[in-house]
Amino acid sequence: MNEQTFSDLARRDTERHLLVAVDESDNSRRVVMYLADFFGDDKNVYITLLSIIPEPSEDYFASESEQAKWLKDKKKSMEKIMKGYRQILTGAGFKEEKIETRLSIRSCTSIGDAILEEQDKLKCCIVVVGRRGISHDEEFVFGSTSSKILHHARNCAVMVVE
Amino acid sequence: MASNSEQKIPTMSRQAAEALIAEKMGPDRVPRKFKIITDTSDFFRVDYNDVVILGDNPYWVKRYEKEGRFGLDDEPKYWVRRAIDLSDGSTKILKLVFHEEFETKIGGISIRCFRSPKKEARILDLVAEHPNFMHGHWVLDSAGNNVRILEFIPGPRYDQLIIDYGTDHQDYFFNYFKEVLDQYIELVTAIKFLHDHGEKHGDIRRDHIIHDRECKVNRWIDFDYNYMHGESMFGFDLQGLGNILIFLTGRGDVLVPELYQQQREVFDRLWGEDLNISYKNRVANLQKIFPYIPKSLNRILLHFSIGAKIFYETTDQMLFDLAKARADVIKLSGRTS
Repeated sequence: MNEQTFSDLARRDTERHLLVAVDESDNSRRVVMYLADFFGDDKNVYITLLSIIPEPSEDYFASESEQAKWLKDKKKSMEKIMKGYRQILTGAGFKEEKIETRLSIRSCTSIGDAILEEQDKLKCCIVVVGRRGISHDEEFVFGSTSSKILHHARNCAVMVVE
Repeated sequence: MASNSEQKIPTMSRQAAEALIAEKMGPDRVPRKFKIITDTSDFFRVDYNDVVILGDNPYWVKRYEKEGRFGLDDEPKYWVRRAIDLSDGSTKILKLVFHEEFETKIGGISIRCFRSPKKEARILDLVAEHPNFMHGHWVLDSAGNNVRILEFIPGPRYDQLIIDYGTDHQDYFFNYFKEVLDQYIELVTAIKFLHDHGEKHGDIRRDHIIHDRECKVNRWIDFDYNYMHGESMFGFDLQGLGNILIFLTGRGDVLVPELYQQQREVFDRLWGEDLNISYKNRVANLQKIFPYIPKSLNRILLHFSIGAKIFYETTDQMLFDLAKARADVIKLSGRTS
């Protein structure tokens, strides 16, 4: 290992950037509380709270206005929840400037892929997700975002919080 | 494609409709009472013998279509009407607008489903040149309802043909199954075409495949459902494809209660993990029932069993395994074509 590698390691140490994928579920709240408890005293941890809202198909709605209203309500509700998550983190000692929130409304076939795309852009060193504890049958029909991330993440660690 | 007539409301005089019916179907068939309809919003108002004008074209309405489902045979679909196209005398299926949102259950899992005329119209445009789908076009009626006008497919349900092949399962499997598997692979490839274009079928069931007797192809029908998916956008479609393959491989459903009553020694060899994950009274691990089924094929079936550890996420994964299974089935049946 040469001097250059050491300095590189040191730089990465000071930029411990966690990408935390959240939604409105109880397990997302548990993820945030776990991180607050685990990293609250750590001055070098930077957290990006990411919420992906998959743009729903027009097929789910009888009219465009219904679809627009659904999206508006969903965005408003998620913004409120993200604010709550931020408060949990600041309450545990995180500085405001160490927390970023990103709410992304986008069409996507896989939320897991969308989270990993964000990771690739931000170059976070850890992706943190919760696990819903879905049944075998549910995973068969719906798939599992945490499994997708575990299997497809590259150049980062993955933390799955139960 | 739509022939949208937003600007003017198309209509037709009663005398002109009577003349067309007489010309195309015979003077004795002109009904005494009927309505001319341009707005199909209330589909219960559309009665037998009425003439519906869609995109300047008159359709003479006949009976409701029916569908067997959830154990209810011949449940009428009031929004789906058989009709005669009075411009050329051909039979058409009119699907009127019926927005529906409901939950369906598969293996104890609730899935939120939506009936969407827009989706079906979009897919009709997409598959206009594809032989393995029903064909048709869509029109906005005078009230803006998206009515789909479908070509009538002459032929039976595909699954009803299968159970008549062969004298027993062994005869079926060695003498007919290779061809059936080829037809199935063609049907999966058709679903891949939808998925590659970001569309789901939404309601993959074996009674949604019609064998077109004239064109000698199998066609997927009824793609107006969409479902709220999770991480795996096509998971529900894939479970439908799996259930059809289990049916085709078994020459019908192999039911646990029947094995218990009629083949106790086979029943005693089964474990819970051998059963179908979606329909737990059906066997998925069919090699235990029919030992000559090649491992490569049975391995695909096991992806749809309770004991499955991994699931298919894409039709490509399934088609890859099907190619191997096909090679083994050909070896078994001793045919090379």
